[in-house]
Amino acid sequence: MNKAGSRASRYWLGGAALVVTAVVFVVPFIFILFMAIKDRKQSSLLDFSLPTSNNLISNIVEVIKSRDYMLVTAFINSTILTVASVAGMVVLGAMVAFVRQRRYSRWNRLVDLLVLSGLIIPPAVVPTIWVLQKLGIFRTLPGLILIEIAFGLSFTILLFQAFISTIPKELDEAAILDGAGPFRLFFRVIFPLLKSVVVTVIVVQSVFVFNDFVNPLYFLPGDDNATVQLTLFNFKSQFTTEWNLLFTDILLITVPMLVLFIFFNRKIVEGMTAGAVKG
Amino acid sequence: MATVIGKARVEEPAAAPVKAPRRKHAGIQSHYPFWFYLPAGVVYAVLFLVPTFIAFYFSLTRWGLFSQEFIGLDNFRQFFNEPGLLQGLKNSLIYGVITSALKVVLGLLLAVLLTSQIIARGWLRSVIFFPVLVSTIGVGITFTILMNPQQGLINKTLEVFGIHGPGWLTNPSLAIYSVALVDVWKGVGLATVIYIAGIVSIPRDYFEAAEMDGATAFERFRHIILPLARPATVTVIILSLIGGLRSFDLIWAMTGGGPGFSSDVIASVIYKQYQAGFYGLSTAGNVILFFAVTLIVLPIFWALNRKQVDM
Amino acid sequence: MAGVTFDAATRVYPGSDTPAVADLDLQIEDGEFLVLVGPSGCGKSTSLRMLAGLEAVDDGRILVGDRDVTHVSPKDRDIAMVFQNYALYPHMSVGDNMGFALRISGVGTDEIARRVAEAAKILDLEPYLDRRPKSLSGGQRQRVAMGRAIVRRPRVFLMDEPLSNLDAKLRVQTRTEIAALQRRLGVTTVYVTHDQVEAMTMGDRVAVLKDGVLQQAGTPRELYDRPVNAFVAGFIGSPAMNLLEFGAEDGGVRFGGATVPVERSVLAAHPRLLLGVRPEDLEVGDRGLPVEVDVVEELGADAYVYGHAVLDGGPANVVARVRGRSLPAKGALLRVAPRPGSTHLFAVGDGARLG
Repeated sequence: MNKAGSRASRYWLGGAALVVTAVVFVVPFIFILFMAIKDRKQSSLLDFSLPTSNNLISNIVEVIKSRDYMLVTAFINSTILTVASVAGMVVLGAMVAFVRQRRYSRWNRLVDLLVLSGLIIPPAVVPTIWVLQKLGIFRTLPGLILIEIAFGLSFTILLFQAFISTIPKELDEAAILDGAGPFRLFFRVIFPLLKSVVVTVIVVQSVFVFNDFVNPLYFLPGDDNATVQLTLFNFKSQFTTEWNLLFTDILLITVPMLVLFIFFNRKIVEGMTAGAVKG
Repeated sequence: MATVIGKARVEEPAAAPVKAPRRKHAGIQSHYPFWFYLPAGVVYAVLFLVPTFIAFYFSLTRWGLFSQEFIGLDNFRQFFNEPGLLQGLKNSLIYGVITSALKVVLGLLLAVLLTSQIIARGWLRSVIFFPVLVSTIGVGITFTILMNPQQGLINKTLEVFGIHGPGWLTNPSLAIYSVALVDVWKGVGLATVIYIAGIVSIPRDYFEAAEMDGATAFERFRHIILPLARPATVTVIILSLIGGLRSFDLIWAMTGGGPGFSSDVIASVIYKQYQAGFYGLSTAGNVILFFAVTLIVLPIFWALNRKQVDM
Repeated sequence: MAGVTFDAATRVYPGSDTPAVADLDLQIEDGEFLVLVGPSGCGKSTSLRMLAGLEAVDDGRILVGDRDVTHVSPKDRDIAMVFQNYALYPHMSVGDNMGFALRISGVGTDEIARRVAEAAKILDLEPYLDRRPKSLSGGQRQRVAMGRAIVRRPRVFLMDEPLSNLDAKLRVQTRTEIAALQRRLGVTTVYVTHDQVEAMTMGDRVAVLKDGVLQQAGTPRELYDRPVNAFVAGFIGSPAMNLLEFGAEDGGVRFGGATVPVERSVLAAHPRLLLGVRPEDLEVGDRGLPVEVDVVEELGADAYVYGHAVLDGGPANVVARVRGRSLPAKGALLRVAPRPGSTHLFAVGDGARLG
């Protein structure tokens, strides 16, 4: 194949890929946006068409107001849930990963097994509720926070462990010779070095927790303390004829992810693919 | 991700039995205290390990709102005899296999495309990945509308080409496949970036050597990318299988398991039985899901990881 | 200040049958600069880390001064260590790196600042105290690592190949600086290296290790002039000593046309011998062992001739130093013989020195 030919074929291949991808991956988002702009009557046609009038602002206002400002509560709840559980994962996960990576012991295999189990095994719903009830934290935000921590720890530990293995052990030894005890060694020397992977963990786990639907559905039922994902579900049954409002809700809870994605694109991809490459 | 574990294991042949005598001062081990495991261990044990273990007992009981009695394997018998419930198990398997197979194939093709010199490469990568970050329920609702047999964009488009589109979600024999396709749409971005990372990490020397040897583009793909991107394949397969077998939210948002029970999966059965107050039966579903996932994923994990070590 | 004593110190790594360090007996005087040297895997780093407390001691004792520190935690041993990769805390400034140990031990801020400034002055680091290690050159980082050790005023300095990450020129320069600094501070120093030139130029005494076993400890001159076995003989000196195997003959060994006299008692016990002779002790003449020249390495003032000779046991490589003006050509045949009294004799099996 000559050079000009290969360049031309590249051009066409790229062009074709661009068009197909645009159609397949972008059109659904345009559809969400269009639906959120439409008025009630036009949205009920369910078709893909340009909005005849711009109702985005009034739709947003109406969604926020509905059910006694449920969406506002939900955003507050989701924020607390995300911040608290991700903070818990970061601190607890880093501590485990640190000792697991640095200390040679017969427990290592058990720790690995538990981490692996946490990744693979689907949580048992009813028994978990039973435990939460016994502890008196069923249907509470703290209960759900602890659940998210428990389920998210495994992935967090793996990310941290892979990163800590790249920190030279001599650094620990220097600190130990300098007189640092375990606490100072971890929090003053190692933890500050984890900054970049901490950002990765925070971003990736925030996406998971914020988008989590199943756990709030089971462990934090009820409208009073809904999370954003549950509002979608609740609105779906309520707004059966008001598709414009339902899609406005979808749009509103997609925006935080879009912002996150714009700022942390690289970190997110890095975190989610971590370990896949080097094996 | 899954391969991280495999690596950790390979790196430590020192996992041989310890025979060093225990002494007062064992090097610097005491600076890595086991109690660092404690906070995480407690949360994990109480909220994950304990429920996982008692699930085995609960699944052997009839347990309603007011009473609980031991009934042996009756829940499991019921599960395998009622077509509505058994359908859930079948669908979970179909769903897991289809989504992971499509994600491997499409993810690899897209990754090859997006690592070659084409225009708008960065933009395309972002666009394909973004659905991974979007609310599953939101995606489900959106595609429910797009797949509407009469007004939906998909069938409207097909009509332009003179094709009469099916009832994607209303046809009982089609619904689960339609949802699986949406799952692939949402998740293929992750498979793609995993493959991209895998392909990018292949040393350039191999491609240059192949070029010197006069290999065609296809030969380069077949003999370099495919074998050397194997760790990525392992990760994609395992991640999609784990996700696919326990998938719930997308199916719940799109079909609710319907029409009838035609698109129920184990996870939706668990939810339905829980809502109906059949806690024992619901937990039996959990135990079955546990076995399905571990029996399918673990052997694959071991088989694929072992070969990878040999490489 | 204090000396250091290894008393039959032994380290066996978990899962290994052979000890990494076996029964190490070594006495280091107060204020002495001792170099541990040997090929990789010889146990020199492990010995140092045992002294630091980073590695457990499975048997035997280690003393700093009169105090048994075998089971004392690293921070209470009153030692400071310079690591091969420096192990500087990347998130702290140079000043904070040097003062970290003092801060942990509760020294007042003023005192820390004073001692850090003092060390910075000695090491020419004053302009960099507020910088991060990442922004420094290799040589500067090395000095920060030194500074971190000095600031603590320990009883013993430990250095684990501190120069191996520097380029060749800087290494030579820093080598002299460290040796001078140590003499000025007078702190007992244990220094690990695999480079015998470093060992010979820096150490008051040098200890050679192989396979976890101490071979010989002595001044550089002693090691060079009277190596206790063939291993030390071959390890110390560059190019290495020629070690040639001969059959014993009446009155000595026949070195080509020349004869090297050997004591009668030695000859009686050893039918075959290893004759060691340093390149500079070989003289080119009319008699002696015929050597075919393979390569000539010119160094200006003189040159090394690399060639091979045929002995009764088979071919052997021979290196000789010659004057720089009249060099033999490649393929030429030289006759070389050792300067009288400059040879070493070793047993063929265990390589032990004879006589």
